[in-house]
Amino acid sequence: MRWIHPLSPDTGETADVIGGKAYGLVLLRRLGLPVPPGFVIGTDACRAFLRDGRLPDGLDDELAVAVAALEETTDRRLGGPGRPLAVSVRSGARESMPGMMTTILNLGLTAAATAALETETETDDTRFALDARLRFLYGFATATTDLTAEALDAVVNEATGHDPGDARRLSRAIHEVEAAIGRRAGRPVPDDAAEQLRLAVAAVFSSWDTPRATTYRELHAIPHDLGTAVIVQAMVFGNRDDRSGTGVAFSRDPNTGEPVPFGEVLFGRQGEDVVSGRSSTLPLRDLADREPEVWTALLDALDRVEAHHRDTCYLEFTFEAGELWLLQARPGRFTGAAAVRLATDLADEGVIGRHEALLRVSPHDLRHARTRRLAATGGAGVLARGLGACPGVVAGRVATTADGAVRMAAEGPVILVRPETSPLDMRGIAVAAGIVTARGGPASHAAIVARTMGKPAVVGVAGLTVTGASVRAGGQVLPEGTLISIDGTGGEVVLGSPSVTTAATDPHLLRLLEWADEVSGDTSGRPADQRLHAAHAALRRHP
Amino acid sequence: MTASPTGDDLLVLHALRCAGFTDLARVAAVTGLGESDAESELITLATAGHVTYTAGVFGGWGLTEAGRAADARRITEELEAAGARTAVAGAYERFLVLNPELLDICGAWQLRPVGGATTVNDHTDPAYDARVLGRLADLDRRAQAVCADLSAALPRFGRYRIRLADALARAASGDLDYVTDDMASYHTVWFQLHEDLLATLGIPR
Repeated sequence: MRWIHPLSPDTGETADVIGGKAYGLVLLRRLGLPVPPGFVIGTDACRAFLRDGRLPDGLDDELAVAVAALEETTDRRLGGPGRPLAVSVRSGARESMPGMMTTILNLGLTAAATAALETETETDDTRFALDARLRFLYGFATATTDLTAEALDAVVNEATGHDPGDARRLSRAIHEVEAAIGRRAGRPVPDDAAEQLRLAVAAVFSSWDTPRATTYRELHAIPHDLGTAVIVQAMVFGNRDDRSGTGVAFSRDPNTGEPVPFGEVLFGRQGEDVVSGRSSTLPLRDLADREPEVWTALLDALDRVEAHHRDTCYLEFTFEAGELWLLQARPGRFTGAAAVRLATDLADEGVIGRHEALLRVSPHDLRHARTRRLAATGGAGVLARGLGACPGVVAGRVATTADGAVRMAAEGPVILVRPETSPLDMRGIAVAAGIVTARGGPASHAAIVARTMGKPAVVGVAGLTVTGASVRAGGQVLPEGTLISIDGTGGEVVLGSPSVTTAATDPHLLRLLEWADEVSGDTSGRPADQRLHAAHAALRRHP
Repeated sequence: MTASPTGDDLLVLHALRCAGFTDLARVAAVTGLGESDAESELITLATAGHVTYTAGVFGGWGLTEAGRAADARRITEELEAAGARTAVAGAYERFLVLNPELLDICGAWQLRPVGGATTVNDHTDPAYDARVLGRLADLDRRAQAVCADLSAALPRFGRYRIRLADALARAASGDLDYVTDDMASYHTVWFQLHEDLLATLGIPR
């Protein structure tokens, strides 16, 4: 085939051709790890599409052949009848561009296939299949029309009365969303699975050139002419039953570098729920008790991928009915104190030499390592965890409104805790020592305002709710005035005053710098970055 | 139907609704009124119990609960009287398409990727800053169309076009605080426009 490549161990194409994500999946297959079967349409097809404004000649036929092979492998049929095959259609360029391009999940769930999926589900819960169909419609609508997820949320909320738990209401929501897409697109959602797939592939290709993706490339110095690959894989359903779920895992703790697996898991959900922060996740370790076989398989995968890269790794996974599947793999890319700890540990474990350990730590890491951090507690005592949006550790009393923050700030430091921030909170942010929000990512309004004012901030703390004058997080209710501490690097929220680490007391950094002095032969007292720099210079002269 | 201009008292009341607790100079800047006119409206609104003044270092003008309720009612009345709900709702959808990109740009202005890690943008690399400002100018051209639709529906939205253009012009001429930091920065004005659209359409945050 010219345009399409199987996701198999003997696919030899480079990341230039099949994109970074597919390249990682091929690697996982080579390591003998479980990857949902599928294929990848190369970046050259995307470039042809963007040049000619249509799918290139021959791609249609290749798609039909590749889908037929996938049906054979899975013993399912795309769009039915019989056992239905649903696929994910994901972008994947050479360089990672997270969240910038289109993804469509559950494609192939036509009306008939949805009904078939319902009957094969062992529980009598029809919501699973309906939820999967609704998710397909969301992806299809945002990919092929200018409808936004927010606009669709409004349609769903109207139809379900904010209660999507009821199957009949969910059916009505699906009907209303179909109608909304039909009105916007000027034609109904196609019920032919092959047509859905063609439209989805074209939509992913087109999403390379959305203004937002263009801006992202401009800001990250990624060439505009690469194009994206498209990965088509059999769906695995993390929301199929209570032995299913999804999560992300690092082979070591990215906040500290500690050699313990770290991540999050969500039971009964699909992958997007973790990445979007829409749902409250559990610590990865909970998997060990609830699904010991999945846990063991995941540890094995983390070990094998880490050994291959000779570096910590990051995996995205889904488990369906107790069976583990890996959806993405990449090196862990630790920074700051975590990078220092990782490099020294890998050297101690004999995975890399001390010289390589030195070269893996950059001057930026040393600068970041100087940031004050909450002392590692191994996860104990962490009340809630979000995304660090502005570095620094700070303690203060909880205030739940801007007015409360202003009132309380006269008596001592305050941490403003809000669902998200609006301009009405600016006054509270101005007097607060730190900020916590339940929603939002590193580029939310709250994160941008916090950095503007240089206030430590944690955003996107899923599961945190603010009701009146109290905050609920980590199963506890904190009234206004409760003393908490936050770490704006790692995103931790803890009760009470913090115990803090700084670079001066970090034993791993001290060891790394001793190695640096051995290499440079200079043991005079100098700042850390000069010691590292001298070692790097010596190693580059005599590698 | 052509909407008539919003009265000065509602402009001032709504400025506090969208910009939050603030001082007289900013109320004037947000509304485009002169300071003495703005102050006169604030005093009248205070007499009606809709706004209060707080003295002190963190002092300024803010809405009362009654003021918030009055604003919600009057802004909805204005929207319906002008028959502008469909137009504003459509513009809001187009705003939501631009919003993540604007936040990406502001994020990139503050933090820049260096060798796989993000680090504070210390603004010592003019080429990088020019790239970010170039994208902001590009986004602004697309935002102009949304602002034009909004002002056609309700003239009071025209003020955002002026304030956004002013912030961009200052940033482009080297006043770096006007991207995210200043109280009249592009991000601040955009944030208030977002709040205004939610308030106008009665959408809870």
